[in-house]
Amino acid sequence: MTEQAMRPQFMGARVKRVEDPRLLTGQARFLDDIDVPGMLEVAFVRSPYPAARIMGIDTKAAKAAPGVRAVIAFEDCPVVLWQKDAYEVGQPVLAHGEVRYVGEPVVAIVAENRYVAEDAAELVTVHYEPLEPVLDMYRSIAENPRRVHENASNVFFYKKYTTKGFDEAFPAAAHHLQETFRTTRQTAVTLEPRGTAAMPDPASGRMTVYASTQSPHRIRGDLAELLGWPENQIRVIVPEVGGGFGMKANTYPEDVVVVWAAHQLRKPVKWVSDRTESLLTDVHARDDIHEVEVAFEDDGRIIAIKDHLMADGGAYPAYPFSGAVGETSLASRVLPGPYQIPYIETEIHCTYSNKTPLGAYRGVWGPIASFVQEGIVDRVARAVGRDPAEVRRINMIRPDQFPFRNAAGMVYDPGSYGESMEEALGLIGYDTFRTRQTELRKEGIYRGIGISVFVEPTAMASSEAGSVGYESVFIRVEPTGKVTAAFGLGPTGQGHETTMAQLIADQVGVNVEDVVILHGDTDSAPFGGGTGGSRSGPIGGGAALVAGREMRQRLVKLAAHLLEAAEEDIELGNGQAWVAGVPDRAMTIQQLAEIAYTHVKRIPAGMPIGLELVARYQPERSVSFSNGTHVAEVDVDIRTGMVQVLNYVVVNDCGRLINPLIVEGQIYGGVAQGIGSAFLESLRYDEDGQLTTTSLMDYLLPEATDVPRMMTKHLVTPSAGEGGIKGMGEGSLIGAPAALVNAVSDALEPFGVMVNRLPVTAEDIRQWILA
Amino acid sequence: MKPATFEYRKATTVADVVQWLKDAPDGKVIAGGQSLVPLMNFRLARPSVLIDINGIRALHHVEYDGSTLDLGALIHHQEIADHPEIQKKFPVLTVAARHIGHWAIRNRGTLGGSLAHADPASEWPAAMVALQAEIDVQGSPGVHRVPASEFFLGYYTTVLEPDEMIVGARVPATGASRIGFAEVARRTGDFALAGAFVEDCLDGTGFVTWFGVSDKPQRIAVALPPARETSWREALEQLTLNDVAEDKIALAIEIAERALKHSALVGAAYFGAHAIRGRD
Amino acid sequence: MSTKMPVNLTINGETFNVEVEPRWLLSDVIRHQVGLIGTHVGCEQGVCGACTVLIDGKPERSCLIFAVQAQGHQITTVEGLTQNKPDLTPLQQAFQNHHALQCGYCTPGMLLTATALLETEPHPNEHRIREALSGNVCRCTGYQFIVDAILEVAGDSKEASR
Repeated sequence: MTEQAMRPQFMGARVKRVEDPRLLTGQARFLDDIDVPGMLEVAFVRSPYPAARIMGIDTKAAKAAPGVRAVIAFEDCPVVLWQKDAYEVGQPVLAHGEVRYVGEPVVAIVAENRYVAEDAAELVTVHYEPLEPVLDMYRSIAENPRRVHENASNVFFYKKYTTKGFDEAFPAAAHHLQETFRTTRQTAVTLEPRGTAAMPDPASGRMTVYASTQSPHRIRGDLAELLGWPENQIRVIVPEVGGGFGMKANTYPEDVVVVWAAHQLRKPVKWVSDRTESLLTDVHARDDIHEVEVAFEDDGRIIAIKDHLMADGGAYPAYPFSGAVGETSLASRVLPGPYQIPYIETEIHCTYSNKTPLGAYRGVWGPIASFVQEGIVDRVARAVGRDPAEVRRINMIRPDQFPFRNAAGMVYDPGSYGESMEEALGLIGYDTFRTRQTELRKEGIYRGIGISVFVEPTAMASSEAGSVGYESVFIRVEPTGKVTAAFGLGPTGQGHETTMAQLIADQVGVNVEDVVILHGDTDSAPFGGGTGGSRSGPIGGGAALVAGREMRQRLVKLAAHLLEAAEEDIELGNGQAWVAGVPDRAMTIQQLAEIAYTHVKRIPAGMPIGLELVARYQPERSVSFSNGTHVAEVDVDIRTGMVQVLNYVVVNDCGRLINPLIVEGQIYGGVAQGIGSAFLESLRYDEDGQLTTTSLMDYLLPEATDVPRMMTKHLVTPSAGEGGIKGMGEGSLIGAPAALVNAVSDALEPFGVMVNRLPVTAEDIRQWILA
Repeated sequence: MKPATFEYRKATTVADVVQWLKDAPDGKVIAGGQSLVPLMNFRLARPSVLIDINGIRALHHVEYDGSTLDLGALIHHQEIADHPEIQKKFPVLTVAARHIGHWAIRNRGTLGGSLAHADPASEWPAAMVALQAEIDVQGSPGVHRVPASEFFLGYYTTVLEPDEMIVGARVPATGASRIGFAEVARRTGDFALAGAFVEDCLDGTGFVTWFGVSDKPQRIAVALPPARETSWREALEQLTLNDVAEDKIALAIEIAERALKHSALVGAAYFGAHAIRGRD
Repeated sequence: MSTKMPVNLTINGETFNVEVEPRWLLSDVIRHQVGLIGTHVGCEQGVCGACTVLIDGKPERSCLIFAVQAQGHQITTVEGLTQNKPDLTPLQQAFQNHHALQCGYCTPGMLLTATALLETEPHPNEHRIREALSGNVCRCTGYQFIVDAILEVAGDSKEASR
């Protein structure tokens, strides 16, 4: 029995996705495809001001407009998205007395369709008295020009951490440098915008909520709590979700308004964000400043890092967590990355402003911390006149040091830090690169190479999606011998229906196509945290393994009894159970299942009727670290400032792979997002607090022509958890921006350029060259 | 992101269009709609009447009589990019057409629509000015020809009267001089950060027509000695620049240089992507 | 002003008689009146390419066309690719084999653009494929597996095209 489990047939195989046929033929149902007779649609009147008092709202004309069924303001739906144990303020689902960012929902129009809802929205008159907006982080810390919330300090999160001995070690080092790293607001831009639909179920009186979310149970709990309904009166169904990337892990004001409207009107109601709304109101991310000082020795050994981290959390804490806190507090703990830097001191300020709330975007803290960490290493290398790869080798945590406690107290489980870098450098041909680079420079071609060695905390006890540290699986071997398993996960394109089926098929001994994975319906799925924070593989997958194994044990027990053999002699596979070495003494799993459900007298004493169970899995470690190295080779056109990514190598270690095809897809997609983060994507506010990037003509996503062909190699350092699986959904975007901008710095070394901002634009580059 | 209401009318003759525009001064002509419809979706454009000219077959033609290329207003960008005779006689138009938007946009967007929209960062207005084309405009009195150099007045503004529409453009053959093109955009298909058509008269002089750097395209005579920086700077001084920062000036100069280099290429090299986008 | 007009739309070879307001976008009518939900809407700004359909065989943005304008033209949506057969087309099969989709939201637009490309140019190299796809944004895949899938159908290997 154990022998087989050690030789999995499906785990690790490049299994094609079962999700694909419906998506390829246009049959898949996304949120906006939920359409029932009589369904009403919502349009929101949104704040045109970053900060203003609401002096009056006139909805008369809108209410009278043809096709309009309801006009809703805060007084009608007085719900506040407020996580009271963590924050002093919350966001009213519709603005209450004051607006605090451009795009904040003020009034909701419910109408026959979106066209007439938008017509009516134009008829609402809101009288505003503009206030001076709070837009700058440094000034906000000093409560300048004013408080965003009258009754709460602008600094809503503060933390300071110092490694013991830092004060002595820092000044004692031979050299010091300082730099300010700045990241500009970016956002996930899922190709499918957010959306929610709600319909009362007249039979049961319950509310069915369709939500485009990563966390079905969490949003159910949030709605129950906010609306004061019993949880079992709400059924959340998550249809096909067109991308999440952390942005769909929150509960948003619109979700509550839609459900409330459906409840009041006793009608199905739907709202789907348009692209302008999504750029204005999907949680933003990456609005951070790191003021860094570094102490290092002659040979490039880094002794200590001092970092003042600031993040602009926007007008309200996103519900139920602020991205500003996530980005800074975790960054401060993983800032040393894969390097044995003994001392660190971090100070964090998270502030309110009159901008869109900050939430999660893939990697959250990671792309920022890696950018800072790898930027530090390259600066040290340049300062001591050594090759950046060499300085990384000097500082790298060695294999014999695991488990390694970093200067901020985070404990890393084993990984392949140095090995991943050497492999990546080999794949890109680093040993000959410097010669090539020198030759090309003589021709006026500025080619650079950038290295980024990253650590990725995965499977965390809590993350943006999972407020719980475990996942659950309800598994059933059907009377026909086919397997159905339901998860509390919230996949948004990761292919869980395939990967979880792979894991279960191996355990239960059936073919992968005989396993159906359910998810995203709180009526059928057991309670779970959802998808986010690179937890579905290790925790959800771990739960799949545990559930599969428990079911296997049950099948083995039954088979042993029926085949009159010892349990340890029973083997399962290919839909069969047989006695080891005696393949004729066999039964199909279908036969076993039939007995378990219908000929129950043949079940051994003490075994329950049927083949159903629920299993839960919570990893023993609170976090497991994936790791890897990205190396980017770029050309910088110094006359236009344009950067072309020529070659890109990823060596990735996420422990045991469930499906390499899917892992590689995650990596390639994350690198492409990294190219956007490094060179293209930027949410810009003007000096009046208006967001100026409200279309995809202004917020630039990478196109097929911006992304090079990439090369991937897997290393495998198993985790101590179930299956040896580590998470990997975020690592590629954690590693990529640092590799890309370091490559630009390397290309522009003759000009003394060191990139200190994300993204770096052609204009920045042209101006640096001219300076 | 849904358009406001409008009345839809489908025209089959230009005379219909002119009459309807007269009747509804805030009416709008839709050709490809690739700039207009986004503006309508944003409700930044809200015409009372939308006059669809796609049914006017007479505006959908390409003719070359040996001296003039006659282009109908409804010719799609992609049709220009793919047209064998244009590629032979006006290769710079082929290259410029390939730089417009993306494939799906080029399949629907039209020459006339682009000229009427007059985005100063787009290719066709500059191409028409650089090639000294005439724009055929029809209004109540009939058709009149406006030199492209006089057609564009500034950002999104032209000499078109409210009851006039573009019916075509006439591009004269370029003679002995060579014309090159260059453009830099943030991504494939984006509007130009800077673009230029440069005509080399092969006698040490030439003309440059930039786009994306000023309020409208203008064809400016330049001396083309081996060291040309001063020539370009003097030419730029004649424009109302969007941005006078030194890096923008330097970029415009660089693009002009690349367009000039491009003009010297022949055959397949002229159409190669690297001819325009590649480094020196 | 918002009176509806009758329109005959020919989609995937079938005729649909629908009543539409002139302002209704073709994308909305295909999805919500005709019920072909495979055409996705990602921006209504003409940028993302998710709503791409073929009009007379050519890829165009259905969010930048009013449904009233589409009468008399042959419209192909993703549902039309399989021509009522249960099997995936070779291109769709290649997308599955190469893991060319994750969330699947951009996929219909990608398939239609790629179908039209292979129709006009049966053996495009990687550069041409990327250029043709540049108006179709994918946020999940980084494009590499999409390009690989199309290269497979183009009968080209990655190496040969580089």
